[in-house]
Amino acid sequence: MRLITHNMLKCHVKNCTDPDKQFPLRFKDVQLEQIEADRNDEFLVRMLPRIDWAALLKTAKELNIELPDKVPESPADDGEFLSTLHTVILETHVKDGSMVCDGCGHEYKITNGIPNMLLAEHEI
Amino acid sequence: MPSFIVHFAHYHEDFCLAELEALSVLEGVKIGYNKTSYSLDSPILLIDVESPALAEKLVRRAILIRSISEYWGNGSTYDELFAEVKKTPERWQQYMQCSFKFSVEGFGRSLTQKEKVAVIESFSFLGFQGPIKMKSPDAEFFVYEDYGKSDLPFPAEKPKHIWFGRVVGRGSRDLVDKFDVKKRKYLGNTTMDAELSLVMANQALACPGSLVYDPFVGTGSFLLTCSYFGAYSMGSDIDGRQIRGTAGFRRGVDGIKANLAQYQLAGRVLDTTVFDICRNPWRSGPMFDAIVTDPPYGVRAGAKRLGRKNGTVPEKSFRIVDGIENHRRDDYYPPTVPYEMSDVIADLLGFAAEKLVVGGRLVYWLPTVTDEYDPKDIPLHPALRLVANSEQPFGSWSRRLITMEKIAETGPANVLSFLNKAEHEPAHKNFRDKYFSKFESVSPTDSQ
Repeated sequence: MRLITHNMLKCHVKNCTDPDKQFPLRFKDVQLEQIEADRNDEFLVRMLPRIDWAALLKTAKELNIELPDKVPESPADDGEFLSTLHTVILETHVKDGSMVCDGCGHEYKITNGIPNMLLAEHEI
Repeated sequence: MPSFIVHFAHYHEDFCLAELEALSVLEGVKIGYNKTSYSLDSPILLIDVESPALAEKLVRRAILIRSISEYWGNGSTYDELFAEVKKTPERWQQYMQCSFKFSVEGFGRSLTQKEKVAVIESFSFLGFQGPIKMKSPDAEFFVYEDYGKSDLPFPAEKPKHIWFGRVVGRGSRDLVDKFDVKKRKYLGNTTMDAELSLVMANQALACPGSLVYDPFVGTGSFLLTCSYFGAYSMGSDIDGRQIRGTAGFRRGVDGIKANLAQYQLAGRVLDTTVFDICRNPWRSGPMFDAIVTDPPYGVRAGAKRLGRKNGTVPEKSFRIVDGIENHRRDDYYPPTVPYEMSDVIADLLGFAAEKLVVGGRLVYWLPTVTDEYDPKDIPLHPALRLVANSEQPFGSWSRRLITMEKIAETGPANVLSFLNKAEHEPAHKNFRDKYFSKFESVSPTDSQ
């Protein structure tokens, strides 16, 4: 699972609605992997408004990944920034591990790069 | 604007015009044509495009278009056609010395080699002196004889209409072979055929820079075709076995990942995730440029969503199995309940209205019962505009490829979804029951 996807997922257990806790999910015991991906700057720039930067920054810190604190004012002209962004959100994969909700404690497992976001019977 | 002859593949006729319109938006090429001049019975359509270069661009991604030709003439007889061609001799000059070839094709009747040669020779008045070259000639000319669609055993002797032009561009029909499901490393029993999967990518305007999502991803056909055209894509499914490839055909090949490797698309197909779209974990706000999907009809793959079969008390979550609570076990799978077709579609529209960016597209299949179909059955949503509705008939039922575009931001999706639900019961409601009862409506008892 790539970090771009992680940035779009929140805990969705019934009654777990505290926006500060259900997102971003905290990684636990994760095995990371770098895999080269096709870079498209137009895509990166288009995605920026759809990315929650504070959440991405928090996650990056947890994983010891370097990321600028703020999105530059004109990201489209900042090749270095786009290169970093590409590496972080599209080339950094979580192969195995889990994502934990700080609100309700639900642990979403990631197996072979595929997150299991299904809820249990008592969580719907 | 100059005229061009579009030669459709004449397969999935009801989809041809919708694809042409989508390509016009996708490639930013303005087109003009007379809607009444298009007939499902003929694979030829005359359209206006600004230049040959733009005409070539217009069709380069087309799946249902074979070629586009600069218009030189047409007629109901060869004499009429020749008279038309002779009106613009200035056009011939630049092709006098270059290498060239002629293609002759019949619709409604196949032509013998001898007949084709006779047709080609009848154009000798053009006076081309360059060499004939069958492979990559400088100029290619196209003669099209339309004998009309006929159910008679003996087709008409003379064509109803003849078209003539210079080929300026071709579609991408070779992709139908490239993505042929038989050649895929991994597939399932509901995998969509290659041709329609590719057409869907065009309807969705999937292109470099866009993000496409399939909420019923299955074995991932649409991720392949959309990402082939440059889009980044994501998918989800309630059934993780389809994604991982641990069930269905060709299991044990690493599921969707095997196809990504085969088609070298792992760099753009971002992720596939296991969850129920009814209880989805996407954070709020628009995220996708297109949603492309084949919702479960409940025929071949029974549609399911998470739910409890009886009552409201979770029965099995906390049962202790081998010393641990059931729901914490690795092999735990939550209970599901059937997901009725009309609910699937209503939820899908509500989801798309929230999750698409404005201008983004929802492209999905809707099954309909032929005898009961009413255009009112097509679900509407105030945030979504109906762009196209193309039917693929199977006799007593059809499936329709519906294309919608998000036109405005709306409030909470569930408040607005499915405004026409109350006053009209669509024919796809209880589709599964109707399918298995072979669409025979229960006739009222004779009471005389």
